[in-house]
Amino acid sequence: MSVKKITVALSGNPNSGKTTIFNNLTGLRQHVGNYPGVTVEKKEGVVKYKGYRINIIDLPGNYSLTAYSQEEIISRNFIINEKPDVVVDVVDSSNLERNLYLAVQLMELDTPLVLAFNMSDVAKKIGKMVDIELLSELFGLPVVETVGSKGIGKKEILEAAIDLVEKGKRKKVEIKYSEEVEKEILNITSVMEKEEIPTFNFNPRWVAVKLLEQDADVINVLKKAAGAKYGNIEDTVNNSINHITGILRETPEVAIANSRYGFIKGALLESYREVETAKLDRSERIDRILTNRIFGIPIFLLVMWLMFQAVFSLGKYPVEWLELGFEKLGNLVADFIHNYLLRSLLVDGIIGGVGGVITFTPNIIMLFFAIAILEDSGYMSRAAFVMDRVMHKIGLHGKSFIPLVIGFGCTVPAYMGSRILENKQDRLVTMHINTFMSCGARLPVYILFAGAFFPAIAGNIVFSIYLIGVLMAVIMAKVLRATRFRGESEPFVMELPPYRIPTLKGVLIHTWERVWEYIKKAGTVILAISVLMWVLFTFPMIGENNYSEDYESQIEEIELLNQNGEITVDEYENSISEIEAKMAGESLAYSAAGRIGHFMEPVFRPLGFDWRMVVATVSGIAAKEVIVSTMGTLYSIEDTEGQSESLQTALYKHYTPLVGYNFMLFTLLYFPCLAAMAVFRKEAGTKEMLFQMGYTLLLAWAVSLLVFQIGSIFI
Amino acid sequence: MRRWGIGRRIGAGSVRFGGAVRAGAGGFRHGGYLSMADAVPKKRYRVVRINGGYRINSRLCAMGFVPGEVFYVSSAYRGGPRCVYIKGTKFAIGSGMAESIQVEEI
Repeated sequence: MSVKKITVALSGNPNSGKTTIFNNLTGLRQHVGNYPGVTVEKKEGVVKYKGYRINIIDLPGNYSLTAYSQEEIISRNFIINEKPDVVVDVVDSSNLERNLYLAVQLMELDTPLVLAFNMSDVAKKIGKMVDIELLSELFGLPVVETVGSKGIGKKEILEAAIDLVEKGKRKKVEIKYSEEVEKEILNITSVMEKEEIPTFNFNPRWVAVKLLEQDADVINVLKKAAGAKYGNIEDTVNNSINHITGILRETPEVAIANSRYGFIKGALLESYREVETAKLDRSERIDRILTNRIFGIPIFLLVMWLMFQAVFSLGKYPVEWLELGFEKLGNLVADFIHNYLLRSLLVDGIIGGVGGVITFTPNIIMLFFAIAILEDSGYMSRAAFVMDRVMHKIGLHGKSFIPLVIGFGCTVPAYMGSRILENKQDRLVTMHINTFMSCGARLPVYILFAGAFFPAIAGNIVFSIYLIGVLMAVIMAKVLRATRFRGESEPFVMELPPYRIPTLKGVLIHTWERVWEYIKKAGTVILAISVLMWVLFTFPMIGENNYSEDYESQIEEIELLNQNGEITVDEYENSISEIEAKMAGESLAYSAAGRIGHFMEPVFRPLGFDWRMVVATVSGIAAKEVIVSTMGTLYSIEDTEGQSESLQTALYKHYTPLVGYNFMLFTLLYFPCLAAMAVFRKEAGTKEMLFQMGYTLLLAWAVSLLVFQIGSIFI
Repeated sequence: MRRWGIGRRIGAGSVRFGGAVRAGAGGFRHGGYLSMADAVPKKRYRVVRINGGYRINSRLCAMGFVPGEVFYVSSAYRGGPRCVYIKGTKFAIGSGMAESIQVEEI
């Protein structure tokens, strides 16, 4: 028997438990991609059942099939254009009326539909009884009961879907709108017919309804298809809208919505009854505390603190193990490969670069684990509610706060965390300002410079840098909102779902998907950039003749002294590493990166920077903490681990405190490391990434220029 | 669509539909009605009209904010978002959106 292939699309309201059902159906055999041209996730999975190979597609969670959001248009177009064999609409059984609104819209589209009444156990417990068979009869489509959290109903969904494919639909139920609306629908369809306007895959009645609802997407499609003839349709539709509004005293989209709810109410009247229970609403009681006017924000801050701790304190240990592992791996490779260049490429370039990025993985696992718990439990939307008023003032969404806090730890997970913002503009603004939340990798730079120039008040100086970062974020959020991301900020209306205990399986799957994406990224783009950076800092290689002193013979001399026992082992080792540090410094100055530093120096002179600082800044693109070791190499100081005192002395000798502070500012403001940029590109596209790099560089330059020029007058 | 779009939201439109907005009698000027943004906890209200424009209206309807629906406010920040129970679901709604929903106390 040959395997028959069918496609099943999962649809449903947000918080209906659709994702849990999807996970149950497909297990770990999932594939996450993107819908072409947009950043909306497309999740697919395959399940084999009764000789069928069923491709399951998880459509974005929606309240309706209007053109309100990208997600809705995607779902709708998928159903219209791809024509899945079956659409399974997951419905929250404890909230039938609202959830069935989407089902009715699917019925209007004439889709082969199966309704999955999810969380039916909860509904029964709170006294909401529904006669499944009767409702199935009234709607003319199969209805199954499921309990996603307990894995109940998987078989029933698949049976119903296959049954629908094999036997076809039972009957077509047409939703009748009010008389006036029906009349105008007829009017519009007849004009469309007369003008011979193509409706493509759409059914003409449906198009007429969408025109009355003034659906922007359908209007656009029709405009393109009808060309000049669109004017006639537009006049007809406008007349119809006026007519309906005049008679019904409500606009067509509201009148049509009312009819849909009327249809649902009619069906439920016969098949549904609510038994009064004395059960207290647990969610309401929890909300009284968590969204309390006084306690709401402190509780939220506490949750953020806990999350931050989980991500960075708990994540610290595996990060250290990974670092140690990569170091060991580097040493191992170094022992086996004797060719200097190849060894350097493998150890410093590839293992160092990719390893540096992979080591963030534990942080990212913890972060997405925490986010998954917050989302699945229902707290995330409360957090947005609590923070909305504060964040709204700077033109951001309540949820923006979460990635911004994460940014203090590491910008990479912060960018990824911005996904919790559904609105694209909110998401982009949040990402564009996130770099000003000073990440952990920048701290070593601050410690080095603050310690060198302001040893007595180093703590306050570092704090001031963090504060300036936050201030800059607020200013830039306002600026970006007023310029590039003007558009209306999304009106805020969001469901606060009942609190639920998240399932481990769900949380783990969510976490794994994100983490895997990150690792894949590190394996490809970051590998390429690491190699590029290595080339920049290695070539052209300094020949023996180009050193300023004859280091080779100096080394030979010391070795001779050592062999003769004229110096102690300590003295020997110190002298050797001193010479090697000088050599490294000179070869770095000779390399492309060093030359870039010299070449770019005039641009940075007005900020008080010399070529060494420019080279360090370039190396900071690889990872900001690298700035410290680059500075060390450039000043030929061996052992640049942490805050080497000799490096601080060298810095103190070469620069004024003003330049030192200015360099910290510059480090704060220019875009974070290459790993972060790779993630930025993945999340927001190349254009936005380039914008991020360009504007932060410009801002860093301008601010540092101002500080140095004005500062120079006073100091 | 633009032709009549302006008049339908406010003022004249509301007067014409007088019966439905009796609650706000006397003050049918620009935004002169009782809106969801004015609703306070511990009272029951009914949605009278939604004036958000096509896009927002469709969205609100899909979420259950339809004329005739009864709701109550469970908590509210002054000038900020509020929690509203409607059609069996709890929503957080921002003040801007809440202002576009005309309500009456019952």
